[in-house]
Amino acid sequence: MVISDHLEALTKIVLHNLRYQHDWVEVHQYTKPELPRPMIYGLPPKRLYVHPDEQVAIIRAEKETGQRIEPEPELEWVLPLHLSEKWTPGQFAALFDAIDSIPPGGPDPDSFDLDDPASQWKLWQGPKRGKRVLLATVQDDSTVTYYWIFDGLVKPRQN
Amino acid sequence: MTAPVAQRRVRISRVAGRFLVFDIDDVVYIRRHHGICAVLTGTMPQNPTQNLFLGLPVELQAEEAQLLVDKGVGYVADELSEHLSLLTSADDTARKAYLQHLKQLRRNAQLAFEEEKANIQAKHQAKRKVAAKPAKAAEGEPSSSSTKPATDSESTSLPDTTCVVPKSPPKESLPAITPTTSSALISVTPSAAATEPPVPSSSPSYLLYRFLNSRGYYFTPGLRFGGDWSVYPGDPFRYHAHYLANYYGWNEEIPMLDLVTSGRLGTAVKKGFLFGAQKPSPAGGEVSDTPKQDSANQGGEVRVFCIEWAGM
Repeated sequence: MVISDHLEALTKIVLHNLRYQHDWVEVHQYTKPELPRPMIYGLPPKRLYVHPDEQVAIIRAEKETGQRIEPEPELEWVLPLHLSEKWTPGQFAALFDAIDSIPPGGPDPDSFDLDDPASQWKLWQGPKRGKRVLLATVQDDSTVTYYWIFDGLVKPRQN
Repeated sequence: MTAPVAQRRVRISRVAGRFLVFDIDDVVYIRRHHGICAVLTGTMPQNPTQNLFLGLPVELQAEEAQLLVDKGVGYVADELSEHLSLLTSADDTARKAYLQHLKQLRRNAQLAFEEEKANIQAKHQAKRKVAAKPAKAAEGEPSSSSTKPATDSESTSLPDTTCVVPKSPPKESLPAITPTTSSALISVTPSAAATEPPVPSSSPSYLLYRFLNSRGYYFTPGLRFGGDWSVYPGDPFRYHAHYLANYYGWNEEIPMLDLVTSGRLGTAVKKGFLFGAQKPSPAGGEVSDTPKQDSANQGGEVRVFCIEWAGM
């Protein structure tokens, strides 16, 4: 895939922003023929997203074990975008179809024990995890805003 | 309970380009069985600027009206043309029946007036008795005897004066009323005249609406949260909205700023920003090859996406 200069620059801005402003580690570029542009994946310093049902499962597990559970950070997908861009629903659908829910290097969804009642909350890091991508929108003053986009109907968090 | 529900056909009155439902049973039915709560718009005639505690009719959005038509549980009636044609073309028996119906309404009104009058009189009499009793107890015998003749003379003199007035002819004098509905005039069955659909079945708004409605979501207009709709996971009486939703075409370009602003606004009111579209079915075929799926899956797949602020 030939990447235009503009996309390369855009990706670099987001990559640096993640690494040096948000202290992400293991940040990598990810290219694939089905993807219209390179994506990024990496590990944030702390957990970025907890699904409302995962939160319920964690609280239940905390009650049973009597110990506090701090969810570990997960590898996340990032899509670099410029504010002046326009995307169609069809393009977002194609993007989600081209990626797995867990970025490369993450846990294997098949390695989870589905029947163990004590570790039900962990399934949210594996088979139960839905597809989600961080939209990293860059403006010309190098501001980068991060918004989650989820594939499908995902209820909002109870923040 | 299920038997009458199955036969029900909701009359959706198209008046000046709006879709209204006037029958309270229909309103309950579509809310309970089809997940349509719509918006109450009726005010009291004396207070047209009223904006709280609104009543019938319920105004449907075009997508909601179209859904009822598609499901075969409702029909759209163009009220202006239908009323005009019914009023001019009614035969003699229909005409008489309608006039009889109006008369019955007036009789009912008369009965209601009389009942109310009797109630008020009874209340006044009860009050007078209560007021008279303590007075009697305090003043004792003489005063009660003195008041008695006065009331006696009153009661006897009043009929005398009324008798002087010439009696009105024994004709039935009923109050004039303005009927609130024309239910007796309109036919219960939908007219044969085909009306144009509220929205084209292929419009992006309808496709997204149908998809979410089939999954049990309720809708209200979304202006207060800055979107096309507010989407509730159940009846809005019980739930807060989960999403503010916008619809787009499958190949419609969405400015990134719209996604960011709506996502930001949605998160600020504890909602997700939802948008979606239906993929055009391949080769232009309307019917999908998958044989028996719910009606929402006609055509291509519907994809929806939710956006939330990431907090970083």
